[in-house]
Amino acid sequence: MPVKQKEPLIMHPRPSSIVAALYTLRDLDTDVVILHGPPGCSFKHARLLEEDGMRVVTTSLDESGFVFGGHDALVEVLEKVIKRFNPKRIGIVGTCASMIIGEELHEAVMDVQPDVPVIEVEVHAGYRDNTKGVIIALESALASGIISETEFERQKSLLKEATMVEKRHGAASKEYLEPSRGDLKYKVAERLIELIKNGKKGINILNAKKETAFMFADINLAVAQVAEKMGKSSNIINMANLDEKLGLPKNRRNAREVKDDLEKAGMRIHHVIGGLDEYPIAGITASQIIGEKYTDFDFAVITGVPHALPMDNLKDMELFSITNGPRQVVPLKEMGHKHVVVEIDLHPKTLGVNHIVESEFGATLRELAKDA
Amino acid sequence: MPKQIAIYGKGGIGKSSTASNVAAACADEGYRVTIIGCDPKSDSSITLLRGRRIPTIMDLMREGEDIKEEDIVFSGYKGVKCVEIGGPEPGIGCAGRGIIVAIGLLRKISTAIEDTDLVIYDVPGDIVCGGFVAPVKKGLVNEAYVLTSGEYMPLYAANNICKGLSRLEMTLNGVICNSRGAPNEEKIVSEFAKEIGSQLLAFIPKDVLVQTCERDGFSVIEKAPDSAIAGVYRKLAKAIMAEKSAKIAVPLSDARLRELTRI
Repeated sequence: MPVKQKEPLIMHPRPSSIVAALYTLRDLDTDVVILHGPPGCSFKHARLLEEDGMRVVTTSLDESGFVFGGHDALVEVLEKVIKRFNPKRIGIVGTCASMIIGEELHEAVMDVQPDVPVIEVEVHAGYRDNTKGVIIALESALASGIISETEFERQKSLLKEATMVEKRHGAASKEYLEPSRGDLKYKVAERLIELIKNGKKGINILNAKKETAFMFADINLAVAQVAEKMGKSSNIINMANLDEKLGLPKNRRNAREVKDDLEKAGMRIHHVIGGLDEYPIAGITASQIIGEKYTDFDFAVITGVPHALPMDNLKDMELFSITNGPRQVVPLKEMGHKHVVVEIDLHPKTLGVNHIVESEFGATLRELAKDA
Repeated sequence: MPKQIAIYGKGGIGKSSTASNVAAACADEGYRVTIIGCDPKSDSSITLLRGRRIPTIMDLMREGEDIKEEDIVFSGYKGVKCVEIGGPEPGIGCAGRGIIVAIGLLRKISTAIEDTDLVIYDVPGDIVCGGFVAPVKKGLVNEAYVLTSGEYMPLYAANNICKGLSRLEMTLNGVICNSRGAPNEEKIVSEFAKEIGSQLLAFIPKDVLVQTCERDGFSVIEKAPDSAIAGVYRKLAKAIMAEKSAKIAVPLSDARLRELTRI
């Protein structure tokens, strides 16, 4: 009998598949999501998602709910949600507690018979890869006819890649990763400006995960603006995963919004390397383009998910990577990224927005360039 | 769609013996049969496998095996497909969750519960939590049977099971009496069946042959095919395979139950 290779234990906390399901429902333009479980489950993200206009409510299961079951509570909340929010699309998401006691989300839906689509996501947070939460949500969306088979298969293969990216060089790459604030922004910005000023040739890459592009793009924009100010624009090649024709509805909208802002600010995107949900594979496209055209470049700035870029065509360049994961610093350094900058708490600032948001590193670059 | 049945009843009343003999009798009739043992004790299919214990789904999951159909579905007497869900040691973890997970896995990797004529879920006597009704809740059971003797406690349990089934809006397809030698037993159970709105499908007399065959690892159908008791199981198997009406059971009051057992 083939024995699965035992995956190593990972001790640091990692993204939750319940939360992943919540974000997926948002990307599917769900109006209200009911979390079937205890009141505090996924609180922080449930709260944040409200900034994007999606409402998240909970059935607030307590000890008594765990013991006697939460069916009636779910029916009650579902009825209240329909009445209060008049939603066009509802999601119901499981939690560890409700799934362990064997709650059937579908039973409540059968009892209430809402006349709008309900996406039922039987998920808990006990999956090794949080992408499982996305897959379960998408399976349910496919079953309700909300997404096409083609889109489902496309998403599934992207998620598989995303999981591999995290295993290779990301949050799932080691038993324990020490969180770090990365290199001092001031020092890194100084070095970057020095290179631009000295006429070095650089590649400026945005490879962001979905809405995080709203802030990561500000850094790429700042790089372009600094180069412009120093009359070195022609030395910089800009790439971005901002294809507005790919992905779930929200991802397409966001790609267009970021791109519009960049273009309005006068930044030219030389190469579109994929859609906003293609961050696990867009880096490969970027790497191919570099291999074909820009092997003699001196440096590269990579924002978003820098660890998804293969190192083959980058290893001779001085690398500046900007991440929002404090646990991504160590793996990036090990890959050979010389400068690693962390934009702490970036994600919360990119919810509920439709324009580029100023980043700390972008602001630092602009400020330092004034005197350069 | 196959006939998917679950046999309920008080612990120790003879559910596994009945399930395995019915499975064997149906296999004799040429039906393709699958038996799913849902009890953490994992002894539902042992008499269909000549006393052999098969690895349980939960054991393999705990070991981190990459589970394939052939690792968990075993061919027993006349090709009866045998699956044991298994579960944690008593007092540890969560057996109910185990059933939910195992049923999910089984559906994913095996056709044993679809590509067949009869699926028998052998469920534990005590439906202690949500997980133990997972087969019913997931729509994998379309017929329910209650096994009882004419004694008060097993009848009390049977009545409680009817309460549970009606709460799940699950119909009851019949009552089976497994005799323990109580006085007036057939009459009592027959009356019970009638009053809850069902019918007595079979009266299985107490016969030590069942136990002696089990001790050797066999069903009576296999080891003593010409015995009278084997005939009883064959008749029951025919009754189960036949089309019949099913209604949601109406449980009795405790007072009425007590009266009944004094007939």
